[in-house]
Amino acid sequence: MTPTTNDTIVESGLRGLRARPGPRFGAAVLREVGIVDDYAPAETVVGQVYVAMSRRGVSRVHTAGSAEEFEELYTTEFGRPLRRVGLPVPIGRALENGDGTALDYDLRGLSEYWRSVLHATLGIPRGAVRSYSWVAGEAGRPRAVRAAGSALAGNPVPLLIPCHRVVRIDGRIGEYGLGGPSNKRRLLSHEGLDVDALLPWTRGEADPKY
Amino acid sequence: MTAELLDRLATDLDDAFPELVAAYESAVFATALRLCGHWQDAEDAAQETFVRAYAALGSWTELRIRELRVRPWLVQICLNAVRNRARSTARRPRQAPLDDGVGVRDPSPGPEAEAGTRETRAALEVALGGLPDLYRRPVVLRHVTGLGYAEIAEVLGLPAGTVKAQVHRGVRMLATALQGTTAVEEAG
Repeated sequence: MTPTTNDTIVESGLRGLRARPGPRFGAAVLREVGIVDDYAPAETVVGQVYVAMSRRGVSRVHTAGSAEEFEELYTTEFGRPLRRVGLPVPIGRALENGDGTALDYDLRGLSEYWRSVLHATLGIPRGAVRSYSWVAGEAGRPRAVRAAGSALAGNPVPLLIPCHRVVRIDGRIGEYGLGGPSNKRRLLSHEGLDVDALLPWTRGEADPKY
Repeated sequence: MTAELLDRLATDLDDAFPELVAAYESAVFATALRLCGHWQDAEDAAQETFVRAYAALGSWTELRIRELRVRPWLVQICLNAVRNRARSTARRPRQAPLDDGVGVRDPSPGPEAEAGTRETRAALEVALGGLPDLYRRPVVLRHVTGLGYAEIAEVLGLPAGTVKAQVHRGVRMLATALQGTTAVEEAG
């Protein structure tokens, strides 16, 4: 009789045969049963963006080279499939007025602090700006300024939650996820702010005294 | 986590169902893959499993959903999906599963693959493919899906003692088969 391979090795070998389906599996299942999120293109001051909505509310605003590219990005980020629809009137109005306070948002997947930061930012009215430290304080953690900056950088719904209205206290305009600082400047100008007067030291003429 | 998920499946199916899929897709897919031995068939069977699950959940009362034991229930549906698929593909000729290296295109060993080399893994896949269903099913449900004996007994409609004996016997058979293949120099 030859000795047989140890059963324990076979058992751990079997555990090694566990496998995952392809990355699009979940989205394919959801599409099959009809659970899809909606999205629509929208024209804005910074060009065309795509706006996606889950059953809970607006879940994503982003620029993309094409509708397909946006669908791809969304399904990768959220694991849910998309269906193109017409832009819902309240969203179009919110983009036009720069006031997204009346909309529902789906911010699942973000930490509680990030959601607080975004909620605080949602309340900054058109034509106004606030500092990162103001946002951090409003979100309940005044010393977590850097974390507030990360939350704003990770804002999944820019324009509607107006992270472009948060600027650096040292006078620099700060980063902007939706196309960089030039878009941030364009948005603020469009909202009636004299960006250069607001931030004179960006031209090297003055030193921030606060 | 499961109680909370069941609660949400009962009250807002479309909101909670994506989480059910995310939580169980690997268990269901791996089960299908190791029972049918073919990647695409396994994805199809796994998809069918979730589509059936969704239909069932949509027609059930909240109470029934809350009492559900999700994993064995999904595995049961999966077993049926694999069985139906095998029945319909039996009519058209097909290569023996897993022996061509094309059927399963997942070359990376999982994190739990302490068992060693790719050769051992391939040999084990072949050995598992050659195991009669009577043993293959309980072995896969126990060691790939990770169900407990009581759950497997429930899924297969057999006494737990019988299931336990079949799993042990199946593992022995695999060990013997592996011994044979490694002795014969080429494993896969």
